[in-house]
Amino acid sequence: MSFLSRLAVKSSGFSCIRRMSVYPQHYAEPVVQKNKQIEQKSELAKLHHVPIKAAVNKASDTVFHDDTKEKMVNYITKKGNSALARSLLSKTMELIKRTQTEHMNLAKGDDKDKINTNAETLLKQAVENCRPLLQVTAIKRGGVNYQVPVPITTKRSYFLAMKWLLEAAREKERKVSLPEKLAWEILDAAHGQGRVVKRKDDLHRQCESNRAYAHYRWS
Amino acid sequence: MALRVFSLNLVKTNRNLLQNGFKSPAPPTGHMAPAASFATEVTVQAAPAAVQKQKVSKAMRAYLKRANEHDEFMKTQHLEFQIGKRHLANMMGADAETFTQEDVDEAISYLFPSGLYDPKARPAMKSPDVVFPARKAAEFDETGRPFHSLFYTGKPNFFQLLHDIVEETNKLADLEERMLRRGNKPDENQKLEIDGFHLLPKDQLELLLVESIADIEYSNFCNSMDRLIASPYAYKSKTFIERFLKPLMDQSNQLEVPKPKIDGEGRQYITTYECLRKTARADVTVRLPGTGKISINGKNISYFEDENCREQLLFPLQFSELLGKVDVEANVEGGGPSGQAGAIRWGIAMSLRSFVDQEMIESMRLAGLLTRDYRRRERKKFGQEGARRKYTWKKR
Repeated sequence: MSFLSRLAVKSSGFSCIRRMSVYPQHYAEPVVQKNKQIEQKSELAKLHHVPIKAAVNKASDTVFHDDTKEKMVNYITKKGNSALARSLLSKTMELIKRTQTEHMNLAKGDDKDKINTNAETLLKQAVENCRPLLQVTAIKRGGVNYQVPVPITTKRSYFLAMKWLLEAAREKERKVSLPEKLAWEILDAAHGQGRVVKRKDDLHRQCESNRAYAHYRWS
Repeated sequence: MALRVFSLNLVKTNRNLLQNGFKSPAPPTGHMAPAASFATEVTVQAAPAAVQKQKVSKAMRAYLKRANEHDEFMKTQHLEFQIGKRHLANMMGADAETFTQEDVDEAISYLFPSGLYDPKARPAMKSPDVVFPARKAAEFDETGRPFHSLFYTGKPNFFQLLHDIVEETNKLADLEERMLRRGNKPDENQKLEIDGFHLLPKDQLELLLVESIADIEYSNFCNSMDRLIASPYAYKSKTFIERFLKPLMDQSNQLEVPKPKIDGEGRQYITTYECLRKTARADVTVRLPGTGKISINGKNISYFEDENCREQLLFPLQFSELLGKVDVEANVEGGGPSGQAGAIRWGIAMSLRSFVDQEMIESMRLAGLLTRDYRRRERKKFGQEGARRKYTWKKR
């Protein structure tokens, strides 16, 4: 159904599926970043007559805002304590920055310029390096469970990458703090090493060896 | 309106026919005239000469009786309405002849003040044409034979409309092919502008068709209209399409921007009362030539311990590039830090509208700063652990 009719359907107030959202379905998502607004100018011109949802309470348009960081905070959060999660992540970022700067200062000559000291890009690089392409799911055929490789969506691959990073960070001794361990894991993953990247490679290897079962996905 | 009056008139002609005993034979007329008025324009004269002498069918007789009754009823209702209007006009000391419906509404709300929440539940006096929904005129002749070929679908007007849409679409498709062969391109200047419009909602379409339609039928209508509108030559059937479009409200002009007042020091200021978010409630004052001072319940920004809440306060200021140029005063009560910060954020954004240009207002609207956030905590449901989470399922 196109945008036009979706509007009509919703304003007439009937729908077959029960929706839990407070906003009616014709409300559009807000575009919080100003540079994004300039980018999508032609599309946003169409929203002139469309009501917009309110910006969420962690949206902002500053240089400190980063989508990956925001997602990471959500995953770190336990029992709704996002303030703690935020402070943990900022401590992690600080530790990354410190270690990288130390490396840079110890390095000599040309190596100095090669060392990345930007914690945000390092985090992004780490998540990018940990993203799996495939996953195995158990499918029962003839009383036997087969591990069948299935492709996953981009969103899920990002979720898995961040989840694995956190799982690796939480698997630690009591004396080590979470930010410390998380910083190590992120630094390792950003350089394509470490347990999380290995986990991804293991999964890919398993998918590769089980490729003969792939047809169970549809037959 | 015209439609309803028309159908009433028809009922009248039908009655006349009954009285005349069907003495005036006439050649069968076309059943479907301009689609603007749907199928109410059938006349009972449409009987072919051969069947004319046959007796009137039971259905027709029942219909004529019903029509008669309805007509009488409407007549008395109209009379009563006119008398009531005169009374009202006298009570209000106005001229009864020039008393319009608007005056009636005003008089009613003055004489019968009502605190009821829903406007539909409040006392009202409206023309009987508005109160009683329009009815269809006879869809069959006196022998009981339907006029419309789609009569037995039960919803002839709706399905006729679908047919018309598809016919229109096919016409446009043919045109497109012909133009392609000739190497012509659709005129970009004449392109159909549908940005400010949406399709008629279901209830209004039902009123137009004088038929009730199911959800799935409405979505069929929407889909076929979409297909028609998507055609590059849609502007050729503009008049047809426009009948089923409804203009949307311009969102950023909807709320009037208040004019700033001048305080004792000669500064401009705007106060927004009732800034609500979750259970927090705030009123926010923004003063224009300022130094970026922020005071919340007498404290500065350190009123909020959480970094995120502070960021939320500054968000509208930073977005509209007025950070450090205005002073903000706020009184908040109720709710937690996040709700309070949200309430103040909305208040600041709403107040800032008076100090920025229209373009910035639209930009702020697109960023979702001017929308009141109505989301609340979702209640816990019985039989569930929380709002959405279910209890662990155990087979035994």
